[in-house]
Amino acid sequence: MTMQQCPPEDSLERRIEAILNADTPPDGWKEALGKLFERYLDQQRLLDRLTHIADRFQAAERERSQGYMASYEKKVRQLEKIVRISDQYQTMLHQLKERLEHASNYDSLTGLPNRRYMTVRLEEAASQAARKNGNGFAVMIADIDHFKAVNDNFGHAAGDRQLKAVARALELSLREYDLCARWGGEEFLFLFPACDQTSAPVVAERLRKNVSAAPRISDNIATPTVSIGYTLHRPGESIDATLLRADEALYKAKDAGRNCAIGM
Amino acid sequence: MNNLEIAQTPSTPEVRADSGQGRVFMSGDSYPENPFDFFQPIIDWIDDFLKNDDRPLAFDLALIYLNTSSIRAMMDIFDRLEESHLAGRSVSVDWCYDPDNERVGELAEEFKEDCTFPFTIAPRS
Repeated sequence: MTMQQCPPEDSLERRIEAILNADTPPDGWKEALGKLFERYLDQQRLLDRLTHIADRFQAAERERSQGYMASYEKKVRQLEKIVRISDQYQTMLHQLKERLEHASNYDSLTGLPNRRYMTVRLEEAASQAARKNGNGFAVMIADIDHFKAVNDNFGHAAGDRQLKAVARALELSLREYDLCARWGGEEFLFLFPACDQTSAPVVAERLRKNVSAAPRISDNIATPTVSIGYTLHRPGESIDATLLRADEALYKAKDAGRNCAIGM
Repeated sequence: MNNLEIAQTPSTPEVRADSGQGRVFMSGDSYPENPFDFFQPIIDWIDDFLKNDDRPLAFDLALIYLNTSSIRAMMDIFDRLEESHLAGRSVSVDWCYDPDNERVGELAEEFKEDCTFPFTIAPRS
């Protein structure tokens, strides 16, 4: 763009000044005024052009920032979507983990805690008992009498139903802090916190009675009974020692004719 | 144009891209240690196919778990498909999932949300 530049000693400017200062218009005033008007129009055109260019620059700049804004907003939406989906995957994994955790700690047939879970809880109880007096607990083992006969005579499906029925009856005999686990095939293990030698036989007897009072799973299958061996954990001894004693007591109960509870 | 064959690993899905058939198959879990290294060849293959050809491109997906980088990569892939679709190309996605894991189907729905090309999600029969 070329700019019309006035020389510093502009003759037109001085002529106009002279005309303005004169009392009566001197010669050539009209020609000078014509030139001034021409110059005025040139300036006006230049100003229009400049304004137009400036406007276009501004518009371009606005478009550019709007473009940034749009792509920024798109990115934000994308990011939000990624986060949302990712969160859902996390939730999915978390639920899966809980399912697996449950599966590794619970018996799928009876829904009771399994041997693995019970072992951990027994160890905890034993170390608590060793730390503090009055944290004694009782351990009981209940074994379904003649369970093999149900399996042999009525099939494994019947055996499973019997196991579930006994598990339910045992579970219903528990207080909030008591724990019952499926220990093995037809064996259930109990942890009774704060259970002493006065209450242990009462509790064992309650378990035994509740099982024999359980609803029969079928008319031709006899109501199940359990033999129970129980013992109190002796603070300081290993949990294996306690379990061994409960097992011995269970054998004694079996020897004594089954459907009874014996403590040691 | 080459086919792409990536064997499944514990952390990456099986990927087969068949240029003759115009099909891409992806199945399994995806949480690659280096997501860029894993997905770039796949994205390159897709770009090549979409650029050098005008035949339809169909995706068979049986993806299960995706980590965040993999989600991003899949969104990139779907963005490309969407772009091609808007340009008139025939593209489609079939995502099938294990009916025991409904959540995977729900997640596929999330991916589908912004896609206007044919995108079906169905439990495996």
